[in-house]
Amino acid sequence: MRLDIEDLHVAYAGRTVVAGAHLLAAPGEITGLVGPNGSGKSTVLRTVYRHLRPVAGRVLLDGTDLRELSPARSARRVAALPQERGGDFELTVREVVVMGRIPYKRAFAGDDAVDRDIVAGALADVGMTGHADRRFAELSGGERQRVLLARAFVQRPDLLVLDEPTNHLDVRHQVELLALLRGRGRTTLVSLHDLNAAASVCDRLHVLHEGRVVASGHPREVLRPALLAEVFGVRAAVLAHPLTGDPLIAFDHHRPADDPDGGAEGDGNDGSGRGTDGTGEDEGEGEGEGEGDGGGVGEGESEGDGASAAEGPARPAATGSAVR
Amino acid sequence: MPDVLPREKTTPSDGLVGSDGSAPPRPARRPLPTVPLLCLLGIALLAALTAAVSRGSTPIPPQEVWAVVWRRTTGEPPRPGTEDLIVWQLRLPRALLAALVGAGLGLVGTAAQALVRNPLADPYFLGVSQGASLGAVAALVLGLGAGGGLGLGLSGAAFAGALATFLLVWAIARRGGGFAPLRLVLAGVAVGQFLSGFTSYLVLRSGDEQQTHGVLFWLMGSLGGATWPLLAAPTLAVPAVWLLLQARARRLNALLMGDESAAGLGIDVVRLRRELFTATSLLTGVLVAVSGAIGFVALMVPHVCRLVVGGDHRRLLPVAAVFGALLLVVVDLVCRTAMDTRELPVGVVTSLLGAPTLLYLLDRRQGSAR
Repeated sequence: MRLDIEDLHVAYAGRTVVAGAHLLAAPGEITGLVGPNGSGKSTVLRTVYRHLRPVAGRVLLDGTDLRELSPARSARRVAALPQERGGDFELTVREVVVMGRIPYKRAFAGDDAVDRDIVAGALADVGMTGHADRRFAELSGGERQRVLLARAFVQRPDLLVLDEPTNHLDVRHQVELLALLRGRGRTTLVSLHDLNAAASVCDRLHVLHEGRVVASGHPREVLRPALLAEVFGVRAAVLAHPLTGDPLIAFDHHRPADDPDGGAEGDGNDGSGRGTDGTGEDEGEGEGEGEGDGGGVGEGESEGDGASAAEGPARPAATGSAVR
Repeated sequence: MPDVLPREKTTPSDGLVGSDGSAPPRPARRPLPTVPLLCLLGIALLAALTAAVSRGSTPIPPQEVWAVVWRRTTGEPPRPGTEDLIVWQLRLPRALLAALVGAGLGLVGTAAQALVRNPLADPYFLGVSQGASLGAVAALVLGLGAGGGLGLGLSGAAFAGALATFLLVWAIARRGGGFAPLRLVLAGVAVGQFLSGFTSYLVLRSGDEQQTHGVLFWLMGSLGGATWPLLAAPTLAVPAVWLLLQARARRLNALLMGDESAAGLGIDVVRLRRELFTATSLLTGVLVAVSGAIGFVALMVPHVCRLVVGGDHRRLLPVAAVFGALLLVVVDLVCRTAMDTRELPVGVVTSLLGAPTLLYLLDRRQGSAR
């Protein structure tokens, strides 16, 4: 399913958090939202899973305005993994996962064989079959996220929305969780804090800054030193990951981008020039790029990145298929 | 299809199970089957009701109790005498009132705990019962109570007091942003104390010779005023609210996980909250109008039941209702028979049982917060 967000404005607690965001999640792709804290990532996602109502603008699922659907109907098409932690009320893993059937059930209807099959299948998908009768509250962070992901699968959604699903997980569990999202052919919209994770998992990225999308496209085109300096305020070089060929962002942890001692011009570009390609010439372009477009930049630009793919250990095929 | 590279083909299989290092899979914990449990509880409730009618200063054998009930319900002419009077006019309405109020408190506690996502929620701690008491007393002072023959005026005023208090306490607790469980309870206790003071003042000011009794009734609760007409409102309200909650049982489960989760599951959270506030306040109002503010039952019952059947509201709601009924019938029996010469107020015994439960819960929450 295709998700289009057009000119979205959302206010939260009396403050405009999202001001005119345009973005696109293409069918079957993993689309990432990145941006500094407070840039509006979570707010955009909350609007998609209908926790918040937009002040203006539209959220379109295959061209249908979300607001034309009843809550239950849209929950059959969009499932969410929000960032909140539930209370401790003695619910078991199975009881949490079967909540995913709520959009399909009438009042008083019990769980039938179909429900049980779907739940069992989703638990197997996330590798939690043996934990179905454990208390949800006693699971580790990684296990909880997998259970909540299973609940989202049970909703049988066309679009999966995840708000920083890897937060508070150790690295191994981050890798495992993100692996569960890939290769399923399900349209996925995910906000990620970790830019390197976003760079390797996402087919398309939207960079949010102060409530607007300032850049969109394939991670390789979006994650450039100039944009990282502008939006995140950091000095960074973008390399090719030696194992995977994905963009690898190496941050300068010594000083931020606007540090007067940094000699921002000279140093910054030296660093980036070494490990990557084609970034030197578009200083300051990051902002302009995303402003007007709904995210169409990503299409068909794989050629330009040939050089970076060659830098990685011989994975040209990988790059070619990642950008369709 | 997105690129499927070798590194992505690793499916989440055995390698992931139990891979969270420290925790090997713990033994599965299956809740008890609900239907047999409900049958058992139902039988226990019947036995407790029989005992409650049979025991007292004038003991009446259980078979005689049932004989009286049989004659009365089948329309045979009642055998004149004290036994008929004691069973039919005094003890049976009281035992049934205890059962209805207990069931209602079990439901209110279960729903309120999900509604505010706080295991410490109880209409008594949240000040809602006290708000209902104040509403009822105000109606009495203004002379509204005499109105509806079924105590509808009184129930209505208690409902209004309960709802207003619930919304006030909720608003105070949410002002800090987010959910702070202790903030909610502290706000409830403060508001409840304030309203209690006001209730006492109104009762004492009224110049009724039964003042002290009145204060005790409204602030501690009592089942002593039971009559058949008094049973009408709870007989309607308890099953109605139970059905309403049972129809929303899945959504109550989802609410426990958080508002965002619930929204993502297609639940209109604002509307659901509104319905739950209304339903719990309505039931609290009706219960307080007939029995005053009885504390701790609504806190204890859901917790005890969760330990037995787990947290799924589809099972929890009926079990909490029947267990609440059983508990309050037994407690009232103890109150009537513990001392030879006089009765204990029902709130005394529920406090003796409930306060340790609260301390235990506080302790356990502290533990799980670490």
